[in-house]
Amino acid sequence: MGEIAPASAPLDRKTLAELRLRLADTLRARAGEPATGAPRELLVCAGGACISCHSVAVADELERALAASSLAGRVRVVRVGCMGLCEAGPLVVVSPDGVYYQKVDREGARRIVAEHLIAGRVVSDLELAWDAPDGRRLTGHEVPFFAQQVKIALRNCGVIDPAAIEEYAARDGYLALERVLFELSPDEVIDALKSSGLRGRGGAGFPSGMKWQFVREAPGDEKFVVCNGDEGDPGAFMDRSLLEGDPHSIIEGMAIAGRVTGASRGFVYVRAEYPLAIERLDNALTAARRAGLLGEDILGSGFGFDIEIRIGAGAFVCGEETALLRSIEGKRGTPQPRPPFPAQHGLWDKPTLINNVETWASVAPILLRGPQWFAAIGTRRSKGTKVFALAGAIRNTGLVEVPMGISLRTIVEEIGGGIPSGRSFKAAQSGGPSGGCIPAAAADVAIDYESLQELGSIMGSGGLIILDDRTCMVELARFFLEFLVEESCGKCPPCRIGTRVMLNLLERITKGEAVPADLDTLEALGRHIQRTSLCGLGQTAPNAVLSTLRHFRAEYDAHVLEGRCPAGQCKALLTYTILAEPCSGCALCAKACPSGAITGEIKHLHVIDQELCIHCGACLSVCPTDAVEAV
Amino acid sequence: MSTRNELARANAAVETRTGEPPEDAVAPATLALIDTYLRDHPGGTERLIPVLHRVQEELGYLPFPVIKAIAERLGISPIQAYGVVSFYHFFTTTPRGRYQLKVCMGTACFVRNANSVLEAVRDTIGLEVGGVTEDRLFSLEQVRCLGACGLAPAMMVNSEVHGHLTRNGVRKLLLGLRAKARKPHTGGEGDNG
Repeated sequence: MGEIAPASAPLDRKTLAELRLRLADTLRARAGEPATGAPRELLVCAGGACISCHSVAVADELERALAASSLAGRVRVVRVGCMGLCEAGPLVVVSPDGVYYQKVDREGARRIVAEHLIAGRVVSDLELAWDAPDGRRLTGHEVPFFAQQVKIALRNCGVIDPAAIEEYAARDGYLALERVLFELSPDEVIDALKSSGLRGRGGAGFPSGMKWQFVREAPGDEKFVVCNGDEGDPGAFMDRSLLEGDPHSIIEGMAIAGRVTGASRGFVYVRAEYPLAIERLDNALTAARRAGLLGEDILGSGFGFDIEIRIGAGAFVCGEETALLRSIEGKRGTPQPRPPFPAQHGLWDKPTLINNVETWASVAPILLRGPQWFAAIGTRRSKGTKVFALAGAIRNTGLVEVPMGISLRTIVEEIGGGIPSGRSFKAAQSGGPSGGCIPAAAADVAIDYESLQELGSIMGSGGLIILDDRTCMVELARFFLEFLVEESCGKCPPCRIGTRVMLNLLERITKGEAVPADLDTLEALGRHIQRTSLCGLGQTAPNAVLSTLRHFRAEYDAHVLEGRCPAGQCKALLTYTILAEPCSGCALCAKACPSGAITGEIKHLHVIDQELCIHCGACLSVCPTDAVEAV
Repeated sequence: MSTRNELARANAAVETRTGEPPEDAVAPATLALIDTYLRDHPGGTERLIPVLHRVQEELGYLPFPVIKAIAERLGISPIQAYGVVSFYHFFTTTPRGRYQLKVCMGTACFVRNANSVLEAVRDTIGLEVGGVTEDRLFSLEQVRCLGACGLAPAMMVNSEVHGHLTRNGVRKLLLGLRAKARKPHTGGEGDNG
């Protein structure tokens, strides 16, 4: 049986090798890979989203039910990291059977033990299943959400208990670090990264191997390694899930970089909004130190390295690397002009290697499985996989890792399960506030760094928000501009003033007060801000506006020329009327109306006085019979 | 939780008793907290943000005298420290509620009608963004993405995320918290009133 004892003593290379042998099959079975003799286990998703849906109570209930059954002491409940399919949480997987259960509550937990484990039949009404177009009912790892993914960075998420360093080690964890310490030279590591084609996963896509080389070659006796976990893009939760689900993969990547570049101190900068990620990373750091995988003389190699956590304080601009470094120094997080780059003059002016969470998690697999394996995945210029946080108007909200070059259509229709409520796919928003919108018409384009840029968007860190026909693109652009106005650090005028002016123009458009020339101003101003801003925040700030202007010009024209919002979202442009047929005369609308525009007798049709109406939409949201129409 | 309230009360007591300029009005317990933190974490001015986090965690906010005391200990000017406090959204110089409501206004929540959550909070406890209820039980902020997009629309109450919120769900949640907050103290106030 795969009994896992907590490591209280340092792990030497022999113990690590034994762990890997002993636990390999257990963990392979959990990941749905071929394995023999794996024990039966119940995996409960303890990712942030599932915890919010009470998965911890479900795990406790499973343990109680097991303890009271004939299986007492024979089946373990493992609290694993994010399994990805947040929409269906809390998720429970029976391993090695590969049966997924969705939306499990306490009652469901008891049934899984009684029916599946004891009586030996799958609880089919709780099972995660997908009806394929050809009529087959797909279950387990065959469900398209899982089947279409290739997991490299997320290889351990949902498979291991993030609190058990032994489980990480058993998945060949810290094996790449061992190789780097005892077998590979720093130049060999850099060459491997270069030929793998790995590019920075934080958004800009700079070749990682080159960055490592710059820092290695930079003169200086003190250097630093930094992990950028300031995941500020609204709609992105890749970094959070990775830090929560597999913190050791980031620690290992950073330790390898420490050895290669000659740094002995590392920092992980995490958002304050992610308390669970901070807690799990902190625990993992403690475990790694106790195991002798961090600290002085790692595994007897003579190499010493340690990592500290720095908690952000809610400033979007700190995702920009120079701003982040200032923040670690305890200062206001304002960006600095580049060059000089952090590789030469970074933290406290010393050479600093800064990579994103997902980049760090990709380092060890590349060194273990070889750069050719990694480079064989993806497109000509974008290699490997990318993690996306799929959210918005999509059935399967969650975290997915897909090969570069996949089409948006595959992500939306197959992995994402399509658009819910019979709506149609309008666009996808990638790259957060710095990104842009990809229209449904471009859904077949192979996604990589270059193709997204050609479409006027960016890869960004991987937030992918799916929009249906109810989303107004002008209002969406306004939403992002408002965000950026608030988050602009104020250091350079194009960003500080320019975004403000753009926002004013957009507000005029959504209120129906704009003139046709405003659209030209918006475009010209956007290009100007792109060219003249100091840092990435300002340079990309106009993207949301420019990409929607480019792909959805007709929608802007409808607002400006016809005073109409085709998606029905811009309240000021809507006319509210009460339809006679469904109106029950309940008077809820009249009570809710802040301007007293609605009159009518109880149980009779109510009427809105268009002169008094302030277009707030309160009547629409309270009407129990959907009698209020907004066009 | 209780330490936070105690410290906040102690601070307020010192402020009102002395009636002096607020510079001198930091509760000894708060000073001890700062000194202990700085002693346990040796280093330089890079400790400013961590120590601000630590103090805000206890007090719920960062009063000016406290910022000044921290600045003195780190050997920087008070305005430098205040510059940092005002730069980051997470830090606040006004007291927050016992239950800090943070409504996510990230893109996924926006697409799934996060505005209705704000409206429901306003309708239930009469709070606007940035406000605190008179009894200091609730304070309301909007935040930019909690990373809980799978649960959109979502709201954080202190460090717990609540997802898939409906107007009615928000109402129930807030009324439940208010009822819970009133119960343990009924011995002192409720019975008499």
